[in-house]
Amino acid sequence: MKKISTRQLLFFLACIMPVGKLVLLPARLADTSKNDLLFPLLVSYLVQAAAIFCALLVAKKGMTFYELLANTFGKIVAKILITLFAVFLLFAAFLPILEQKLFVQSVFYDTLPSFVAFAPFFLFAAYLLSKPLTSHGRVWDILAPLSVVGILGILILSLSSADFSALAPVGAAGWKGFFRGTMSATAWFFDAALLLPLLGTFRYEKGLAWKGTVCYLAGGAVVALFVAMFYGIFQEISPNQLFAFTATSKYFSGISMLGRIDYIFIFALGLVMSFYVTLPLKESIECVLEAYGRPRYLPTLLALAVTALFLALVVIFDYRFTEVLGFFTETVFWIIPIFSVAIPPLLLLLRRKRHAV
Amino acid sequence: MRFKKFLQTVPMKLWIILIVVVLFSFFSNDFGLVDIQKTAIILAAGIDKTENGFSLTAQIAVPKGSDRTTGGTSSVEIGAEGETVSDCVSLIFSETGWVPKLVFCDLIVLGEDAAREVDVISHLNYFLRNDYMPDSCLLAVCEGKAEELISSTSAIDDASSLAIEKLFSEAAVKSGKVLTNTLKDFAIDYYGVSKCSFLPYVRMKEQEGGQNDSQTAAGGGGGTSSGGGEEKQQIYIAEETALFREGKMVGLLPREQTLALSLLEGNVFTGTFNTEGDGSPVTLTVMKNEGGISLDSAHAPKAELSLSVTVRLCCRGVTAPVEDIASDSVSEDILQSAKATLTEYVQKLWDLCKESKCDVFQLKRMLYRSSLKKYAEWKDVLLEAVTPVIHTQVISMK
Amino acid sequence: MKNVTGDLDKTGEALKKLLPAEDFLTFDFPAEGGIDFCILFADALTDKELLGEQVIAPLRAYRGKPLAEEVKSALTSPETKTEKSLEKLAEEVLIGNPVVLFSDMDMGIVVGTKKIPVRAIAEPPTDVTIKGPREGFIEDFKTNTSLIRRRLKTGELKIDTLSVGRRSSTTVAVCYLDGTAPKETVEQIKKKLGEIDIDIIPDSSYLTHFLASRPYSLVKQVGTTEKPDIFCAKLAEGRVGILADGSPIALTLPYLIIEDFQSSEDYFVPPYRATFTRLLRLFALVVAIYLPAFYVAAQLFKLQLFPVKLLLTIAGSIRDIPFSPSLEMLLVLLVLEVLNEASIRMPKYVGMALSVVGALVLGETAVSAGFVSTPAIIIIAFSGIGLYAVPNLIEQTSVLRLFMLLVAGSVGTYGIILATAFIILYLVTTENFGVPLVAPFSPMVGRDLRDSLIKYNLGSLDKRPRTLHSPNKRRLA
Repeated sequence: MKKISTRQLLFFLACIMPVGKLVLLPARLADTSKNDLLFPLLVSYLVQAAAIFCALLVAKKGMTFYELLANTFGKIVAKILITLFAVFLLFAAFLPILEQKLFVQSVFYDTLPSFVAFAPFFLFAAYLLSKPLTSHGRVWDILAPLSVVGILGILILSLSSADFSALAPVGAAGWKGFFRGTMSATAWFFDAALLLPLLGTFRYEKGLAWKGTVCYLAGGAVVALFVAMFYGIFQEISPNQLFAFTATSKYFSGISMLGRIDYIFIFALGLVMSFYVTLPLKESIECVLEAYGRPRYLPTLLALAVTALFLALVVIFDYRFTEVLGFFTETVFWIIPIFSVAIPPLLLLLRRKRHAV
Repeated sequence: MRFKKFLQTVPMKLWIILIVVVLFSFFSNDFGLVDIQKTAIILAAGIDKTENGFSLTAQIAVPKGSDRTTGGTSSVEIGAEGETVSDCVSLIFSETGWVPKLVFCDLIVLGEDAAREVDVISHLNYFLRNDYMPDSCLLAVCEGKAEELISSTSAIDDASSLAIEKLFSEAAVKSGKVLTNTLKDFAIDYYGVSKCSFLPYVRMKEQEGGQNDSQTAAGGGGGTSSGGGEEKQQIYIAEETALFREGKMVGLLPREQTLALSLLEGNVFTGTFNTEGDGSPVTLTVMKNEGGISLDSAHAPKAELSLSVTVRLCCRGVTAPVEDIASDSVSEDILQSAKATLTEYVQKLWDLCKESKCDVFQLKRMLYRSSLKKYAEWKDVLLEAVTPVIHTQVISMK
Repeated sequence: MKNVTGDLDKTGEALKKLLPAEDFLTFDFPAEGGIDFCILFADALTDKELLGEQVIAPLRAYRGKPLAEEVKSALTSPETKTEKSLEKLAEEVLIGNPVVLFSDMDMGIVVGTKKIPVRAIAEPPTDVTIKGPREGFIEDFKTNTSLIRRRLKTGELKIDTLSVGRRSSTTVAVCYLDGTAPKETVEQIKKKLGEIDIDIIPDSSYLTHFLASRPYSLVKQVGTTEKPDIFCAKLAEGRVGILADGSPIALTLPYLIIEDFQSSEDYFVPPYRATFTRLLRLFALVVAIYLPAFYVAAQLFKLQLFPVKLLLTIAGSIRDIPFSPSLEMLLVLLVLEVLNEASIRMPKYVGMALSVVGALVLGETAVSAGFVSTPAIIIIAFSGIGLYAVPNLIEQTSVLRLFMLLVAGSVGTYGIILATAFIILYLVTTENFGVPLVAPFSPMVGRDLRDSLIKYNLGSLDKRPRTLHSPNKRRLA
C-alpha cells in the first residue's frame, strides 16, 4: 500500500472520474446549452485531457507536488502555494458533496428525509480521510468494476428509450448556449487538479501520460454517450431531471414486471460516488501534511476538522443549493480552470533536477 | 504512557459509540420516516376542474390483511378539493392521516372539463416537479368526470385503475386499438416546438347484469369519495384519442383514426380492421406494419404519410367453403378495398388534425430538427401550408 | 536440586516435588545384577504393557554396569534418550514418557512409550465433500503430521516445532515447503509464535489472535482447515501451515478472503462447474447479509424497491403485526440465532425435536398469532440458508447481517451503501504478513484471478499465486 499502481491510476481515470459527471451536470448542460449540450462537454473533456497529459508528464520528475514547488520556489513560497491549492481542493469538493446530499435524499428515500439521514456520510468521510491516500488506489481496484457494471447496466436499460435525433439541429443554442454550457461545466472539471496531490504516490512508467489521457478520454466518451442518451430520453424536459443517471433507466419495459432492478446499478454508482466525492478532501489534507510535516496525530485531527467543516457547510447551505450552483457555475466559474487547467502545464516548466532545499 | 494507552483504546471506544448510536437510532428513528404502515399507496389519480380550482381523486391500495384467502387488490378512493393539485394532496394527508405516496401511481386520468378548459400542465406540473413521482406513469382523458371513472367499480378487476391500465398494455398498443402516452412524453411534446400531443380517451360503459356490493370506501376531503353499497359494474373503452394543443384538449380521434395513427407509427402487430369484399364485411389481421411520417421541406413543405401492412384474412361476413377457410391469403379486390379504407382513415386523420390545429405528427419538430432556417420560415403556418401525400400499401400474406 | 544425582531416593523425591499429583506413579525394583531401578510415569498417559515389555522385563534381567549407555542398549524400546535436567525429565513424564532412574547414575533415561488416546481419522463435519479425499485432522499432533507427510513425500517439507503455553506446553508445528514459502513469512510467523506468553493453548484458534495484524477485528485473518489435502495444497501454493497439538484445526497463512469461497471439491469438478458454485456462494453470502437489511430499508424508506404487487402482498401480511418492520425483523433474526445456537449445542436426538419446535411450532404459530409476518420468516429463512453456503465465514457474516439490519432500520438504504463502503475500505486496508486480505481483487492481480471467483482449467494454473510472493513461481512444468 506504499504506492498507487499504474493500473489503479488508469482505473481511476477511466472508471471513477466519469461517475461524478453523471448526476447534475447533464441537466445543467441541458439547461444552458439545450440540444447542443455535447459541445461544451466535449470541449471541457479535451481541455482536461490535455491538462491530465501534462500532469502525468510531471510525474516523470519523480517528485511530489510540494517537492516540485519547493525545488523551484523554495520552501516558504511552496508552502503558501500548496496551502492555496489545498483550499482550492476543499472549494472544488463542496459542490459534489452537496450534489451527493441531494442525490441521497432523492434516490434513497421516497419521502424527503431529514438532514440526519445524510449525516452518516460524514462519519464515513472521517474514517476515509484518516486512511493513507494510497489506500484509495486499492479502493479503485474494487470500485472500477462496480462503476463499469453500474454505468453499463444503466446504459443498456436506457438506450432503447432514447431518441438521438433530439440532439438536432446543431447550433440551435448558439454561441451563447455553448459558452454558458462550458462555463457551467467547469464546476465538474477539476480532474487534472486531482492528479497533482497524487504525484509521488505512483511511479511514472513509459507511455503513462498517453495511456492516462486515453483512459480519461475513454471515460469521457462514455459520459458523452450517456449525456446524449439522457437528452434523447428527456429532450425538452431534461433540465428538470436533476439526478440524471437515476432517471434514465426507469422506462425499461422489464421494470414493470421485475420492479426497479435498475436500482442495483444506481446503488453501485452511489457507492462509487461516496468515495469519489471525498477524494479532494483527502488530497487537501495530504497537501497540508506534505508541506508542514505529519506529527503523529495530525492526520486524524485534520481529518476530523475537515469533516466537521463540511458538515457545518452542508448544514448551512442545506436549502440554498440553487444559489450555490449559480455561484459555482456563473460567478466563480474561473477559479477551477486556473488550478486544474493552468497549473499542470506550468509545472512542466519547473526545475527538472532535484535541488537541495 | 497513560495517554498512549488511552489512544490505543480509542478505536474500540469509537466502535462502541457507533454501535450505541446505531442502536439508539434503530429503536427511536424518525428521519422523516414514513413507513409502509403509515403510507397511502396511490395507484391512480383523477383530476377534475371545479369552480374553485381542482379536485383530486386518489385511488389508494388497501392491503387485504394476513389471512387473505383471495388474491387481488382492494382499494379505496379518496377525494379532495383545492386551488392546486398540491392542495388536494395535502388535504388527503391532513384528513386521513395517511401520507400519500405517489411512487406507485401509474395512471393519471384527467376529466374532460379539466382537459378542455385549462392547460393541463397547470395540474400535471405538480407531478412533473415531484422527485418521488415516476414520470413514466400513463396519462389519459376520460369522458365526464375523472372522479366517477376512478371511483367506478370495474367488472374485470378489483380496482378501476388496474382495469384501465390493462387497456393500455403493450398488447393493446400493438393491436392498434389504443394510443398511450406517458407523463414524460406528454411533457416533452408540450414543451417541444409543436406543443401538441395526444392522450387516450376513456369511456365508461355499464356492464349489463353486473353488480357489485362488496366495494368499500372511506370518506374523504372534499366529500367526493365513492359510496358503499350496490354499484353498477363498469367496463372501459379507450379506442378514441384526445388531441391536445398547448395543453388543452382540442379534438377527438375516433377509433379508425386511432388505428391509422398507430399504423403510421408502425406499431401494429396482430391488430384488425374491417373493409369490404364482394359487398360484405371482411376483417383483416395486420401481421406486419411499417409506417412513417416524413417532412420534405426542400421547397414548399410536403408531409409524406406512408404505411405498409401485410395482412391475412381474419373473418368474412359470408358463408364460405372449407377451402376458403383454410386459406389465409387475401384476394386482390379485398386488398384494393383495404387500401382504400386505410387511405381514407389516414386522410380523415389528417383532416381532423388540421381542423383542430393539432400537430400530432410532430411535423414542426421534424422541421426544426432538419433546418432551423426553414423552421423559422414555416413554423407559424406549417399545418395549413403543408400538403399531405399518403402512401398506403396493403400486401397479402402468401 | 536441578539435576539428577546418583542418589535414587533424593532424585525420586525431587521429581515427586515437581510432580506431586497422585496420578504420577513410581515403580522401584532391583535388577538381577544388583542395581536399583526406579521408573516414574504418568498413570493415564503411559502404555504400561509396552513399559513392562520394553523396559521392566529387560531391566530386571540386567546384569551389567550402572552406565547410562549400557542400560539404554539393554532396553528394547526404539525411542530412548538420556536427560540430566530434572525439569526436562518432569516435562517428559507430563507428556506420557516414563523416566528410568537408577542408583549411582546422574542421569535419567526417557523411554518413548507414551500412550495418548486418539480418535479415529474421520471426515470433518465442517468440510464435507462428495468428491475428493475425506480424511480430516484429529487432535493428535503426530497423526496429523503423518497425514501431511503422506501427501508431501519430499525433504522440502519442514515441520519446525515450538512449545507454546507456559502451563500447557503445547507443541505447535510450523509447516512449510522450503524454497516455496517465502522465508520472511516463515520467520515472522515463528517469531510471533515464539513471543506468545500465555498459560495454555487449548486450541489452535488461540494462536490466531497472536498471528493477526488486527487482533480485535471482526474480519478473519488466518485461514483454517480440518483437511490434510487442503492443508497440503496450501503449503504447495507457498503458504505456511500451523498445527497445534490437541487441535484438529490447522491454520494457514497468509490468508486471503477468497479462500473461503473455494472448496476442495472445486478442484475435482470441471472448471465451469467450480466457477458457477463459487459465484453461487458469493451470491448466497451477499443475500445472507443484505436481504433482511434491504427488506427492512425498503419497507421503511424506499417502497419502490418492491414491485407494486409484491408491495401490496407484503403490506397485507404486515397489516396486523404489532411491531415496526425493523423490530419485527430483528426479533425473527434473534430467534433464528437462538435456534441455531441451541441446535448446535443440543444432543442430536433432541435436535430433531428442536427443529419441529423451531420451524413448525414457533414459526407457524407466530405467524397465525400475528406476532410476525410470513414474508419476514421467508426472508430470514433465505438469509439463514445463504449463510451456510460459506461455512467458514459464518461467525463474521452473521454479525455483519445483524449490523446491516440495524443500519437499515436506522438510516435505510443509504446506510447500507455507506456500511458497505466502510467494509470495502476496511477490507482493502487489511494486510497480514504483507499480503492484502482481498487480493487478487485489490490489489488486482490478473493472473491470480484465474483461481478466484472464477476457476480456470488446471493447465492454466501453471504458476503459484503471485499474491503470496513465493520464491518458486512455477508449479506446472
